[in-house]
Amino acid sequence: MVRIGILSFAHMHAGSYARCVKGLPNAELVGIADSAKARGERMAQRFETRYMGRDELLERVDAVIVTAENARHARWAIPAAKAGRHVLCEKPIAADVADAKRMIKACEKAGVQLGIAFPCRYMPPMRRLKALCDGGELGRFLAAKGTNRGRMPGGWFTKPKLSGGGAVLDHTVHVLDLMRWMLKAEVVQVYAEVDRLLHDIESDDCGTLTMTFDNGVFATLDPSWSRPQSYPTWGDVTLQIVGTDGVAASDGAGQKLDLYDDRRGRGDWRYWGFNPDEGLVADFVDAVESGRPFDITGTDGLRALEVAVAAYRSAEQGRPVNVEELGGRD
Amino acid sequence: MCGVGVIGCGGMGRGHAGRFASLPDVRVVACADVREEAARQAAAEHGAQAYGDGRQLLDDPRVDIAVICTSTPSHAEFIEEAARRGKHIFCEKPMARTLADARRAIDAAKQAGVCLMVGHVLRFFPEYALAKRLLDEGAIGRPAVARTTRASAHPRTVGDWFADPEVSGGVLVDMAIHDIDFLLWCFGPAQRVYCKALTYRGPEMTDYGLATVRFKSRVIAHIEGSWAHTPGTFFTKLEIAGDQGLLEYDSAAASPLQVWRKAKGEGAPGVMVPESPLAESPYLVEIREFMDCVRTGRQPSVTLQDAYDALELALAAVESSRRGEVVTLPLT
Repeated sequence: MVRIGILSFAHMHAGSYARCVKGLPNAELVGIADSAKARGERMAQRFETRYMGRDELLERVDAVIVTAENARHARWAIPAAKAGRHVLCEKPIAADVADAKRMIKACEKAGVQLGIAFPCRYMPPMRRLKALCDGGELGRFLAAKGTNRGRMPGGWFTKPKLSGGGAVLDHTVHVLDLMRWMLKAEVVQVYAEVDRLLHDIESDDCGTLTMTFDNGVFATLDPSWSRPQSYPTWGDVTLQIVGTDGVAASDGAGQKLDLYDDRRGRGDWRYWGFNPDEGLVADFVDAVESGRPFDITGTDGLRALEVAVAAYRSAEQGRPVNVEELGGRD
Repeated sequence: MCGVGVIGCGGMGRGHAGRFASLPDVRVVACADVREEAARQAAAEHGAQAYGDGRQLLDDPRVDIAVICTSTPSHAEFIEEAARRGKHIFCEKPMARTLADARRAIDAAKQAGVCLMVGHVLRFFPEYALAKRLLDEGAIGRPAVARTTRASAHPRTVGDWFADPEVSGGVLVDMAIHDIDFLLWCFGPAQRVYCKALTYRGPEMTDYGLATVRFKSRVIAHIEGSWAHTPGTFFTKLEIAGDQGLLEYDSAAASPLQVWRKAKGEGAPGVMVPESPLAESPYLVEIREFMDCVRTGRQPSVTLQDAYDALELALAAVESSRRGEVVTLPLT
């Protein structure tokens, strides 16, 4: 039985992870710690577990899930590592590269796993696309095109001090991780258009990235918070890969039916596909239990973050930016 | 009675010949093609004179209107030759292969005082026209992010001139230019473009491009042109997100007529052909507008500046992909 604690409910995905843990036969949600006490107590009640102080929780668990604001990931993850607990951290790994590197180092030193929550790897269409890629069915990779659009999430997401950036940070990392995973390559250069055009907020809310990978593949990515409130679903995660032998296009969240509900006054897309969060959490729990390394590492999180950071720099400077300019791949 | 001469009797040429012939008081009197058999066949359909050379057709006094459907690099010289002889001109897109050629062609038409219209037909497709109207009505508020896709297999045509990017300009100049014109129509002049593209160099490579454009109005557009898909494919997509809403169109979802034909005979697979029947062909609509401009002297809704701007942005995208740099506009 893997004992899990959730650290901070600042990120809305914490609720989903809590449900996933409770649904597993080999995991137990031991407790919740949160710097926002009222929120922590409310969530503990909702998920039928205990609210407790951080150190008390760390004593009682094998692993933690960190779902704080991006800029606060390190201050929860590093003490957990020092206490000898494995960490599954919400994406992006951190709000800046320095924090990400500190987290990776701390977990390495403590001999614990640092996993990053990239649930899109568990979407069945994406796993199938990965299998096609690994099987060589598309031939040599030539180009890729991805999207991860969404609604503007509000709250701390739009405050760069807490988030590290807006839409470009929030939504680059999922698809970038998928691209690295499928293409088995690293991004060398990024050009980005970034702007705030859709919402009255502090951070950026739209853009388009163009990336060159070290295997010659070029790719674009749209991370915009461009789905309006009236859109029938929250957004999308899509990835298309062009190879010498064909083209494959995957719509990760595309398995839906259309529901028209007069009480809501509009149409909705209801997803009936496999819940990728379940895949993610089950896989992490299994890795902790068996001792095998979890597939999605802190370095995966760092690589995805680097591309978002390079995108911001590119947009500021109006030119393509080499990722190595960010300083030090160790 | 207006006499029409069609130069270039491939698919577009023959199609336009039929459309012009269907208009009242218009007759197709001449068809020219360097392939004499193609010219002869097209001419036979309309009781027209066949020519092996476009210049000969332009010397025919019965020709009032020249319709240019040759490969792209010859567009400009035929426009000039036609203008010089006082013929009105309908020219397929792209207007020319280079900006210098486009400038010469525009000057020739203006100097001769003839009507010149370039076939940027996408504006006449009802779904695109509606999208533009909704945009203008404020249905999505202030536009911010746009995406277009236009995808097919690598086109096969006479002499495979599409396959030679020097001749056709590749997928961006030849096919994505439709979406480029549409986006310029929607959002105004472009500020800069950054593009990555693959160029066809034989069957193991393909033509595929992804261009990101920033407009002076701050709109960000992502343009996808693909000749990487498989034979039988053709689809287009459009999405425009604004601060009050979003519109999206996927041609693959708009197949209101689907016909499953069983194959006759053992073992042969049947085929499903989707159709989106239109009351009126957009090609006919644009040609009717052209004829009205010829008769009344008014400017076509697709202006010569529009045609030039579309070519310029397409060429800028190609240049960006070659240099690996952001290219700012105007180019010259």
